[in-house]
Amino acid sequence: MRKGFAAALVFALAVPMMRGVSQLPRPGAPDGPVHTHVSAAYIDGGAAVGGAENLVTAVLLNYRALDTLGEVLVIFCAWLAVIAAMVPAAGEREREGSVPVSPVVAYVLRILAPFIGAFGVFVIVNGHVLPGGGFQGGVVLGALVILLAVALGPGRVARALPTNAWSLLRASGVLVFAGVGLAGAGLSGHLFGLSEQPILREWLMILLEVAIGTAAAAVLAGLFLAMIGSDSP
Amino acid sequence: MTAADVLDLALLALLLTCALGLARLKDLAASAILFSVYSFILCLLWAHRGAPDVAMTEAAVGAGITSVLFLVAIARVGGRER
Repeated sequence: MRKGFAAALVFALAVPMMRGVSQLPRPGAPDGPVHTHVSAAYIDGGAAVGGAENLVTAVLLNYRALDTLGEVLVIFCAWLAVIAAMVPAAGEREREGSVPVSPVVAYVLRILAPFIGAFGVFVIVNGHVLPGGGFQGGVVLGALVILLAVALGPGRVARALPTNAWSLLRASGVLVFAGVGLAGAGLSGHLFGLSEQPILREWLMILLEVAIGTAAAAVLAGLFLAMIGSDSP
Repeated sequence: MTAADVLDLALLALLLTCALGLARLKDLAASAILFSVYSFILCLLWAHRGAPDVAMTEAAVGAGITSVLFLVAIARVGGRER
């Protein structure tokens, strides 16, 4: 009886769904509405409506801001999963200094570090006008922290900030992004309704990029530190 | 066939070579390095196809960070596929 009911329910749901799916345009078909209407509208008016000259940023931070919030959450959850799984074993908490770094590598890193850092920040704050953005720049900054951890010893980098500050930086992407989204909902009536004023909107976009970049850098550096079993990741 | 197409095909051929090599390699550290090479070729392909944002992500994440994380993970679990 229950099996029969379940089968009938599945059938009743599946048939309309299959019918709907079969009538969707073929994926990638050039005459699908996605290509004739959605993409065309983004390309024509995206820069003006979306508020960013870089159309990719306009899509990521405006049209599809909710998707981007999901991505920021995914990165944060990846971090949570790693610290849950990688509890350092008692014997290997302090392994730093066990891998000597060649003086050549250390010297080159010291010369390169400010340039890598400047490039990362440049990519983050220019995300709305140039290729790149918060995530890409954040990854560059995260790589810089990893390089410094290799050159100076992971413990020294991990202790550069108190544990609470690291946690706050890692959560900053989710917190700022959700905050801006909810503030938009309160002020304009729809979620992620960024301001209509161009200057304010530009600064909001930079704020979002900086938050994403900070979170990405802190999470990626934290993943590395946690995986090598460093103290206070 | 224009010069741009030839470049695309060459990059795709390299990509395929890397992918086949990856499937055959037994040494995990070597696989991680080859995977980073794969990402760099893919990054060139993105850049050449006019997607600089994706190319940047591919270079930073695919070729940079994931290689490091793979190598750290391999160092922790020990080196070869059985």
